[in-house]
Amino acid sequence: MVKAKSLILNMVGLLVALIPLVPIGLLVALAFSESQVQPQGFTTKNFDFLETGTLFANDPVYSKLYPNVYSVALNTFLLAVGNMLIVVLISSMAGYIISRYSFKGRSALLGSFLVIHGVPASILLIALYYMLKSLGLLNTLLGVILVKVAVDTPLGVWVLKGFYDSIPWDIEISSLVDGASRLGAFRRIMLPLVAPGIFAVGLFSFLSGWGEYIFVYTFIQSSKNWTFSMLIRSLVGEMGGINLALIAALSMIYLVPVIILFVVGEKYLVRVTIGGVKG
Amino acid sequence: MVQRNIAKYTTMAIMLLPAAIIIIVFLATPSILTILISLTNLDYRFRWEWVGLSNYYKFLSDPNTPIFIRNTIIFVAGTLTFNVGVGLLLALLSTHIHDTIGTFLRAVWYMPRVLPSVIWAFVMMWMFSPMDTGFLNSILKSMGGKPVLWTFQYYWPFLFIVNGFIGCSLGMVIFSSAIKSIPQELIMAAKVDGASGLTIVRRIILPLIKWHIAFVVAYQTLSLLASFEYILLTLDGGPGYYSTEVLILQAYHLAFGQYLAAMRYGYAAVFVTILLVIGLVLSIVYWKVFRLRELMIEPKLE
Repeated sequence: MVKAKSLILNMVGLLVALIPLVPIGLLVALAFSESQVQPQGFTTKNFDFLETGTLFANDPVYSKLYPNVYSVALNTFLLAVGNMLIVVLISSMAGYIISRYSFKGRSALLGSFLVIHGVPASILLIALYYMLKSLGLLNTLLGVILVKVAVDTPLGVWVLKGFYDSIPWDIEISSLVDGASRLGAFRRIMLPLVAPGIFAVGLFSFLSGWGEYIFVYTFIQSSKNWTFSMLIRSLVGEMGGINLALIAALSMIYLVPVIILFVVGEKYLVRVTIGGVKG
Repeated sequence: MVQRNIAKYTTMAIMLLPAAIIIIVFLATPSILTILISLTNLDYRFRWEWVGLSNYYKFLSDPNTPIFIRNTIIFVAGTLTFNVGVGLLLALLSTHIHDTIGTFLRAVWYMPRVLPSVIWAFVMMWMFSPMDTGFLNSILKSMGGKPVLWTFQYYWPFLFIVNGFIGCSLGMVIFSSAIKSIPQELIMAAKVDGASGLTIVRRIILPLIKWHIAFVVAYQTLSLLASFEYILLTLDGGPGYYSTEVLILQAYHLAFGQYLAAMRYGYAAVFVTILLVIGLVLSIVYWKVFRLRELMIEPKLE
């Protein structure tokens, strides 16, 4: 009786686990579909754009409307990597100071990080638009990266502070006794010990930059600076009802790094999300 | 000693300043700037003209304002219910089955959170498309049924699902780690006394994780109040007249919409300022309630 109940429960668990995979499965089926609007048959023709990067290569009018897929991929990669490198660099330093040093305003600083973190930054778009315009950074990837970094840094600092906190003082003190400077101890002893935290924050900020939509959509007009999210969004708007298969194929290319990184680092990502921003 | 202090402060400054500067410039400054903009009639000409509180009067007297407020309440309450309810069910289920399946279940349900928002919105719009080619409608038709006008008719449940699949994993992760930390003796003792599974959930598990539930509710209320990305990407305030236009989406449309009425930055900033104030007040209250100060104990020595 108990055994049968537990078997049923496990089956239910397995079935429930499959639910979020349905949309992804449908996307894959659509990307390889012969029909343009629903999954039917199998073909790789929707991926033909990969050859030259030109969308609608047979249509002289449409092909000029959209940027080359490879330059779009490069922009998306630059945004993701730029965001990742800067967030990891500055939050691993700031997290260390906040974890290990006692100074005036420390708890005020941490508190403000928490408050800032609680209020989603997308509501600051109007002021940010005005600022980027004044700084001449509107319509540039750099502008988007700087805003993105500001949004992801409080979380990065908060998470890495937690990792530093969990390392016993004795380790650091013994290296200081051995004659290492504070900075030397930080670089050679502490950083390697918080490597999992750095990996987690790096993964999070890469994916956060890779998937970004609102900031790109709001701050970037010129299609030569488009990222994947803009390209796909624009195609959905122009031909949402006409050529879904092409959009699905592009989405799959966009998804490949996400799925790989998710499978590799799911455990690390969950640790960041305990304080994550998305509602 | 003085020299050591100088060295200490230099180290601190070098390591802390980059984070501090970028946060002050790109988060703190725009917060204050938003409040200032709400007192001007900044528009497409980008000229600062102070107009005092007149934007706020306009907000209060606009007949559409109650619609946006009502929509915001529906959106936050509905999505929150979905998030916490589904999150709780997933946490209970995944902690009461074989560990491997449970971990797999949580990993898969976590995935929508890392998907790029445009892809998630695209797939959901196609699945629930009111057209015959939509996924659900094509299944209905092949079974001899009639197509349903999903997103036209059931736009709120649709938005709860689109947002909820992203949001419920926060509750799932927090609740399941809380459930796992409940001592097994408690559950065992109840079982020996003959309690059914449902009674154990109601009488033991739920009371023990009530603070975690309160935290998720509090946290997600705050983020949902200012969340509009998935509405923008799917129904964009429609179908029809402002039927899913929440406050923050209206602010976005006023500032960056595609229509002639857009680029009204001053008036849009009123919406944001109000949400900003609500957000700040709520997060200070939460901070006090959940004793987050305890997370910030001073370091014991240097």
